[in-house]
Amino acid sequence: MARLHLFWPEGTPLPRLEALDIFHIESGGCTGCALELASLSRALLAGNHPIRFVSTPRQAGMLLLTGSLTVGMAPVVELAWQAMPGPRVLAVVGDCAVDGGLFGGNYAVLGGVGVRARSSVSLPGCPPAPDEILAALVRWQTTEGER
Amino acid sequence: MSVEVAALIRQGAAPTPCAGRFVLEAEAWQAMIAGLRATDLPLLGLWSDGVQVHALFHHDPIPLVASVAVSPDGYPALSPVRVGAQGPERIIHDLWGIPAIGGRCEPWLDQGRWPVATPLAAHRAPTPGLPEGREFIDDAAVRQAGGTGLGYGPAEGNFRAPFHLRLGLPGARIEAVQPCMGYAHRGLAARLRGLAPQQAARLVARIDAPATVAHQLAFARALHNATGTAMPAQDVAAGVMLGAMERIATHLDVLAQAGAMLGDGRSATLAASMLEQMRQMCRNVCGRRLLFDVIPPAATFPVRVDGAQLATLAAEHASLHRLFWRPRGLAAQARGKGVLSATMAARLGIMGGNARAARKGQGDVTDRLEVRLGEIGASLALLAAPPESTVMEAEGGGEEGLGWAEGPAGLLWHWLRLEAGHVAAWWCGDPSLALAQALPAILSGAAYEDVDLIVVSLGMSATGADL
Repeated sequence: MARLHLFWPEGTPLPRLEALDIFHIESGGCTGCALELASLSRALLAGNHPIRFVSTPRQAGMLLLTGSLTVGMAPVVELAWQAMPGPRVLAVVGDCAVDGGLFGGNYAVLGGVGVRARSSVSLPGCPPAPDEILAALVRWQTTEGER
Repeated sequence: MSVEVAALIRQGAAPTPCAGRFVLEAEAWQAMIAGLRATDLPLLGLWSDGVQVHALFHHDPIPLVASVAVSPDGYPALSPVRVGAQGPERIIHDLWGIPAIGGRCEPWLDQGRWPVATPLAAHRAPTPGLPEGREFIDDAAVRQAGGTGLGYGPAEGNFRAPFHLRLGLPGARIEAVQPCMGYAHRGLAARLRGLAPQQAARLVARIDAPATVAHQLAFARALHNATGTAMPAQDVAAGVMLGAMERIATHLDVLAQAGAMLGDGRSATLAASMLEQMRQMCRNVCGRRLLFDVIPPAATFPVRVDGAQLATLAAEHASLHRLFWRPRGLAAQARGKGVLSATMAARLGIMGGNARAARKGQGDVTDRLEVRLGEIGASLALLAAPPESTVMEAEGGGEEGLGWAEGPAGLLWHWLRLEAGHVAAWWCGDPSLALAQALPAILSGAAYEDVDLIVVSLGMSATGADL
């Protein structure tokens, strides 16, 4: 179970988390980022956190992508996005999803979604650790709450 | 008969710079196919470099590679005598446009969305593509029974690489399975061409995260064999140690997922907690939680891991073992699900833990999880008392080499050819391709709710199968 820090790196406590349902798609990477997301998901479940990963885009408010976008996965990502109801946001996690990383465009890969679409959360790393991913999500929630 | 086929391959006329590889004339290739019909020599891989097609066979003491030149019509197919050759033959057709004479040529990776046909061939042609994607034709038995066609993947909200299964359920159980691969294909063979080995190694490390050390190790061995340089004892020792750490972590991940799927919260929590300890141990040893870019190891690589951490993990492993076998535990719940028989494993060239589970019992999910539990214990013991490592001498050295390593899901292979110090051709054989081909047999008779569990227990990764 990932041990999540309850403090920012500066030492101040994390703010109270808001409910957030995330639908994750591995769009064509090595699944390293997905493994770290799985660790985060287990920790969130164990801690009864209001952020959770859901199994259908119809329940989700955030689409979280990891991995470079392959040609085969492009229509799948598009369908998932269209299936999400109401206000929705996009998050890209890991170097591949942010800008393609080591897997830039070729005949089978379109590259990173982060450079093609506007994302609310963009977190580079190969892969970012679970606490870094959670910190990025909470930081985004805090910024949104202040607006 | 295996001996006779091996002797036939060794009679290959042209010696090659790769140890164990022999080039056969077309007639000898045909004779080899005829010989394979009467023997059980396992086929482990099939690939092409555009000029020749290579078939890798499991044979002691060193593996055998039989090669044949590609004629304008293609090459005689191996799939009539080795069913595991079907997938690779279709991949060769997708990537190079080289047909297998007597085999199937339907797409395996290319689902009609690539902008070019045969992307690895010298003369590539643009394709109009199929904007609607692949169409499935359901089995007659499913249609007549008025059954349901259900899909699994490629986006299930889980944390695995994407692939799709079209499942036909005439009643309560799955009867027809059509796998659809290619979603995770990143064109690695094209990417590695022309790269320096150090750059190529970074890509190889990111083929499949749960088996990254095994891929790095197999690639490093192939590179040492190609350059004719021995692998230093420190690298060999690091490979053994990091391979054990990777095996423990991946097996724990599988057990945590299986526990969660079967509603065994105690097993799932304990396995997940142990997994997190392993990730922290990896961070302490290598500076990162996932073991990318660790072969060759840094000069500061420690010889041993922390004994206290290992002792804690060993105690928790014993608890996990007890939980696994307790009444109504994971073992009892997973019994009889997703059977991979020893015969099927041998036919498809499936090796490693899945094959051992098939030989040990009936080859169901319980057997596979039990093998994983056993390997965790063995790997912990290995980390506690690492064996003395010696220099690994190179085989060959003529700019072409083959290397292997045992990953968490089975044996995997890397073959490469160098030109002027850069990668000219490369192939990787990942156990997931054979597992993807076995899915129709394994899932036949299963309930739809168990598909996730069965796929997880096999350790199949679409990113390793698609490359």
